[in-house]
Amino acid sequence: MSETRSPLTDEIKALVGTSAERIEASPSWGIEREGLRLFTNAIMDPDPRYWDDAFAKKTRFGGIIAPPIYCSYLSRKTPAGAEDPITRAFLENPQSDGIGGVREGGESGPGTLPPVPTNLKRILNAGNEIELYQYPRLGDRIYSQARYKDIKGHVSKDGTPMLVITVETTYTNQDDDVLCILRQSSIRR
Amino acid sequence: MVTADELRNKKQLYYDDVKVGEDLPPLVIGPLTTTHLFRWSAAIENWHRIHYDQNFAIYHDGLPNVLGQGSWKQSILPRYLKDLCLPDGWPWKVTFQHRAMIVPGDILTVWARVTGKAESGGLGLVDLDVGMRLQEDVESCPGTATIVLPIRGGRAVPYPFVPPKGA
Repeated sequence: MSETRSPLTDEIKALVGTSAERIEASPSWGIEREGLRLFTNAIMDPDPRYWDDAFAKKTRFGGIIAPPIYCSYLSRKTPAGAEDPITRAFLENPQSDGIGGVREGGESGPGTLPPVPTNLKRILNAGNEIELYQYPRLGDRIYSQARYKDIKGHVSKDGTPMLVITVETTYTNQDDDVLCILRQSSIRR
Repeated sequence: MVTADELRNKKQLYYDDVKVGEDLPPLVIGPLTTTHLFRWSAAIENWHRIHYDQNFAIYHDGLPNVLGQGSWKQSILPRYLKDLCLPDGWPWKVTFQHRAMIVPGDILTVWARVTGKAESGGLGLVDLDVGMRLQEDVESCPGTATIVLPIRGGRAVPYPFVPPKGA
């Protein structure tokens, strides 16, 4: 009877601690009001700290701020002047799911980590962790850097091999102040 | 829902005033609609069709309906913790998992229950169980969080936030 072995190879173990290139997540004009308005409306947060200059100036933050988690969505946006990724994706595949071929750079673009060399293809979200330190402010330029924080191998009771991969992304501003840290764990099986 | 004026005039919750086992004020959102989901997709430019294209979600991906985005839930929890801490506390950290799917028609109750408290470096650390409960009492986003509240007569919670040593 064969025994399923842990899928955690030395090659995969060596990835722990590997960092991606630090990239600018925001556009060159930084955090701006209109993007912030769209975002805070979509989370139904009417907080005047996000839009009322006179009020925000009197708070401990000294001016308009943005939710720290806002940083994590900036780099997903299509840069101004880029070829339209939606048109391209649907020309290539009229049945596109809206993700494949649309997101600029895909899994090999700037700021992405090297792929984990495994034949385990199914990906499940295993949980998220967020640490907050400082609010971004209007005009701030936001940078992000991802690294493999941890990779563990398991074999379930029914013999299914799996990897639990935790990627940590740190978001900083133009002064290198840490704004927030996100850790996302995924299961590959 | 919370109004802008309520957040403008929010009274500080102090460490001294919370008790282990206490439920903190919830945030109720909904009923959610496809339009809410589409607004989020547009705001963050997430064009995955399962979130706004009902035919695609049901007939291509075999889902019960368009699905609420995990990224939206990930943004709601820190927003709720921020509201609890205003004006001078700090929503330090939160960890959670994605469980039950969210679909149009759902009403969400974002909740927090105090599970522990400790003074550290002159700051009040409050541990919470948190989540996002659906109308049938199904939990969609269980997790834990630590918020930092000022102690009456104590030092201000630092901003930018610096965790107390050893915490």
